[in-house]
Amino acid sequence: MIEQGVLLYTDALASFFTPEALVSVLFDGLAKASLYVMIASGLTLVFGLMGVLNFAHGSLTMFGAYLGGLVLVLIVGGSPTDPVALGGFFLAVVVVFGALGLLGGVLEWGLIRPIYDRPPLYQILLTFGLALILDELARIVVSFYGIQPIASWQAALSTKPAILGRTYDLGPTSLPGLELFQIGFGLLTVGFIWAFLTQTRYGLYVRAGSQDAEMARALGINVRRVFTVIFALGTGLAGLAGLLLAWDQAWGASVPLAAETLLPAFVVVIIGGLGTVRGTVVASVLVGMVDAITTWWFNEAITFTGLPEMFLFLILVIVLALKPQGLYGVSEVGGH
Amino acid sequence: MFRRWVVISNAGSGSRIEFDSETRAAIATRSRAYARDHLVHLLVLGALAIYPAVYHVLTNGGDATGMVALLPRVETMVAVLYFGLFAMSFDFISGYTGYLSFGHAAFYGTGAYFVVLVANGKVPLLAPETPFVCLLVLAGVLAAVLALGIGAFSFRLTGVYFAMITLGFAQVLYVFMRDWEYLGANPRDGIAVTGLADGFRIGVPGVDSLSVAIGQLAGEPIDLFGSTLGASTVSYYAVGMVVVICYLAMQRIIHSPFGRVMIAIRENEARARAIGYNTFYYKLGTFSISAFFAGVAGGLFAGFRRSVTPENGYYFLVTGDALLASIIGGFGTLAGPLYGRLFDEGLREFLSKSGSGGGLLVFLRDSLGQPAMETALIGGMTVGELVETFLNGHAPLYVGIVFVLFVLYVPNGMVGTVRNRLGGSCAKQLPAWLSDRLTAIVAAIRERVSAVRHRR
Repeated sequence: MIEQGVLLYTDALASFFTPEALVSVLFDGLAKASLYVMIASGLTLVFGLMGVLNFAHGSLTMFGAYLGGLVLVLIVGGSPTDPVALGGFFLAVVVVFGALGLLGGVLEWGLIRPIYDRPPLYQILLTFGLALILDELARIVVSFYGIQPIASWQAALSTKPAILGRTYDLGPTSLPGLELFQIGFGLLTVGFIWAFLTQTRYGLYVRAGSQDAEMARALGINVRRVFTVIFALGTGLAGLAGLLLAWDQAWGASVPLAAETLLPAFVVVIIGGLGTVRGTVVASVLVGMVDAITTWWFNEAITFTGLPEMFLFLILVIVLALKPQGLYGVSEVGGH
Repeated sequence: MFRRWVVISNAGSGSRIEFDSETRAAIATRSRAYARDHLVHLLVLGALAIYPAVYHVLTNGGDATGMVALLPRVETMVAVLYFGLFAMSFDFISGYTGYLSFGHAAFYGTGAYFVVLVANGKVPLLAPETPFVCLLVLAGVLAAVLALGIGAFSFRLTGVYFAMITLGFAQVLYVFMRDWEYLGANPRDGIAVTGLADGFRIGVPGVDSLSVAIGQLAGEPIDLFGSTLGASTVSYYAVGMVVVICYLAMQRIIHSPFGRVMIAIRENEARARAIGYNTFYYKLGTFSISAFFAGVAGGLFAGFRRSVTPENGYYFLVTGDALLASIIGGFGTLAGPLYGRLFDEGLREFLSKSGSGGGLLVFLRDSLGQPAMETALIGGMTVGELVETFLNGHAPLYVGIVFVLFVLYVPNGMVGTVRNRLGGSCAKQLPAWLSDRLTAIVAAIRERVSAVRHRR
């Protein structure tokens, strides 16, 4: 028995180091990394500036998935043609970003703003309660329209255009179109955030506010408004992540998506170091790669189902044990 | 203080101890002080002890639908007790040292899985027939050892990072227990007790007449003073006894010098370190003790329910429920989380209980009647549909709203707010407050009476 096992693992090891396997794992990892960066970037922006660890982030991602799915279903319908589906997707981007951003702004203004002067625990608690409410609201609405809240929403999944459903030849292996699309979307988002933070005046305010909110206020910046805008931006990004997941067979729009995305988002943000966008990007790539590698091993050699998910949290534990502030973290961020 | 006593020996009646009058007075003062300190505890215990009887009387009256809807069932109260113990153990580390242990479910789940696995004969060296009380202690010890391991890593971190690394450990365990095939045929759906037909017994280990079996089905009814206590009621008292013992132990620790250091760490860790306490070991010790009680709570849960799933044992939302209970009841008050859980669980049951147990849904269905339920409202939606849509199984929505309101407007929780009002812990201040009120009322009545007399 044991010898068989050893043989199997050496075989698997040999086939892992072939160009086909390596390239497909690499691109799989990049695709996963862009998903992770999508679900985590909003969280890290909000934490870096305001010191609020937003437990409702996953719920907002789930809202985005349903809302985006709704737009797609309304526009594209049952038989997607490529241009219509892609056009619908970009319309959904605008709708989801706008709607979720508005929701986020209202939540910040109405609920979180009154308790900034309390210890950080209370902001965590507030968003935790918010997550309960949002999840249950989604469940009520979704089951009211006769959609199964626990399983992924098939109608939204089936609006995926054929152009993303087929595979593309790329060197020694072929890749699903959706992965390439996700990589592209993730890169665009990271580029957008980078440009916003470094190239615009508002980004300057944000960076100033996260370094020293008091000083920024003394210099005449309306930090409160910056907070609201960043919270809105963060929830908007959460919504976009949800929209991107609505086409992915492995995720799909469902109510449990909230918890399923919240935990990886936490892991990525914590590994990167709370509040650093660069750390989040690096951590996404790290986590995405480990996820892809362990998924490959699970598919080929190891029968333990929870392998990728377990490694996700193992990386968190290992990184924190080695670098207590995360990869790029500094000891004082956003009042922590 | 008690050293001055006199031994009077009589040839006929043997020897007895007698105190001089000063010592006797001192003893009397002390015991009175002790009784006053624990008066609130006794009142609460008394209230909890008569609850099953009260429930029975109130729900079996003539028109009792309202009461059935409002009061939590005795089975629910058992769940309140064991989960309340878990929430208290969460508060013990998080509320008193200020370190948010967001992976506390790891210890609860470990205790629960341990009990079920031993009963199924899957733990080496332990027979399925091992007495349940021993299992509870072992479950606690196992959780405490696990906490030493996790804590040794985690206490190098503070704040959000600490919360997240404990969450990470708990989730690793969650995924592992969800997919480990050794545990049972389908570990994703959890495991149930299959190796043992009898209920788990709480009491003196090995003596059947001094112990009772717990469980909704496996528990045993007991005849007492001519009336029969149902299986749930018996479980309620048995589980409650363990919970009370654990509560008193934790309360004792918090009021000891060790507990003072715990609070010092919460208030100002740097200063506690500066005056010479090795805070790392204090934190580790606290974490381990709190894990012990979490493990016991998990063992009680598995012993009563006879099954456990990864979702109700190890998942991070289990810790979330404990957090909810702690905040609603009062963070850093120890007893508060039990009331918080009672509130939370009571609300959940009230809003989404279905079937014979009552609850708002059943109450509305019964009392509104068919015509009222079919009244059309906005957009052709009937009242009945509205009730079904918003009430059937959607308690988390309302619990969440209540929770957010608590965070915004009652940040100290129920017990914490009462404490702030009274200016000290309830056990210390409540008796004095009550006697003040009583004297005031008595004085007022006397005045009124004498005024009336004078007028005559």
